[in-house]
Amino acid sequence: MTDRPLLVVDTGNPTPPYEQLRRQLAELIQSTALSPGDRLPPLRQLAADLGLAIGTVARAYRELESAGLVRSRRGGGTRVTATAPSLSDSERQRLLHNHAKAFVQQATLLGADEQQILDAIAQALAT
Amino acid sequence: MGCGMESVLVLVIGACLSAGAALVAWLAHTRSPGSIPAHTAAVPAAAARRTANWRWAGVTTGLVAGGVAAASGALGRGLLLAGPVFGLCVLAGVVAGEISVRPAGGPTRTAVVEVRRVRDYLPHGLAKAVLAAAAVLLALVTVTTATAGPDDLGRGTVLLSRCGPGSWEGHGPWAGSFYSVPLAAMVATGLIVAGVALRVVIRRARTGADPDGVAADDALRQRAAWTITGACGILTALPLAGVCLVSAAALLSFSCHPAWWTYAGWALLAVLIPTAALMAWCAAVLLAPARAVTAVLPAR
Repeated sequence: MTDRPLLVVDTGNPTPPYEQLRRQLAELIQSTALSPGDRLPPLRQLAADLGLAIGTVARAYRELESAGLVRSRRGGGTRVTATAPSLSDSERQRLLHNHAKAFVQQATLLGADEQQILDAIAQALAT
Repeated sequence: MGCGMESVLVLVIGACLSAGAALVAWLAHTRSPGSIPAHTAAVPAAAARRTANWRWAGVTTGLVAGGVAAASGALGRGLLLAGPVFGLCVLAGVVAGEISVRPAGGPTRTAVVEVRRVRDYLPHGLAKAVLAAAAVLLALVTVTTATAGPDDLGRGTVLLSRCGPGSWEGHGPWAGSFYSVPLAAMVATGLIVAGVALRVVIRRARTGADPDGVAADDALRQRAAWTITGACGILTALPLAGVCLVSAAALLSFSCHPAWWTYAGWALLAVLIPTAALMAWCAAVLLAPARAVTAVLPAR
């Protein structure tokens, strides 16, 4: 299994794609899955991989730059800043709880019962 | 050209071909099919088939177009341009194949957080050899162009040597401006197109983001980068071999000439051996690209 993080964009989701991207990248930076100095994918490459417009990815990067999480330099790409704030334990716990809540909500909508939800999580952890 | 000179050239060409054949055999031995990533089976079949079809279309078109180019053109100029014509056709095939790859559709899209770089996919040894061949070709045609003399129609196609007051001896063909200008234009165009092709290979969308799909997609890109490098090798090495051969033949044909011309002639013949080996290497990469793809790329 690749140790490189994945980005997922759901075009059917009411949240705009740039915001989905911004949120995921911010979490990756704050959880130190992306370390200070790490380079983000070039705009064109990420836009092609996700089938999005370059402007959509550029907007997500601009928002991250405004938040001080990344810095873009001409010719040097976009890199995670050394001063990017990392998540506190309580914040990490809160995010984990939110993701779990969202997953359970989606699974319930699909008609899964508690055991099926737990089985799905165990299966995902095993792969 | 004297009979002795012809015998020497036949011997040199024979040695080059033997070296090339030995290299191809060595490559076939060391690059066993086992070195292809097992993940290749997971490549979306359509993408793999399309890129392979386009690549072979480029190679086939290149062989035909190169053959036509070799048979046309005055004073062997077409023969000199056959290599670049072949290389350009192969590059066009690779670019068309890469453009034909479409990303996985659907409302949910995934991407790996990674920076894809050209150097991660290039065959480093072969790329360095191709760059060296291009540098030698550039240096050689610069010298031959600067030293060429006019033929009876005023074209730079011969090398002249002064044998005495008012007495000149000339031999050709010599890679003067008649040959070097179109050759330089074609090789430069080919190298620029190769750069563009590498960017296309790097920037095209991934066919999937699951680990097996990523590894297989990397193998596809690596194969394309090898093909591009191989095409550049033919594009530079074939004209280099031609220029070396005709220049050596001209230098060694004079009855009156500075002594160092003989050494230069033999040195150019010596250059033919690594050049032939490079051509054989590139041909092996182009005709059996699957065997040339090495293990899965290191994590970035």
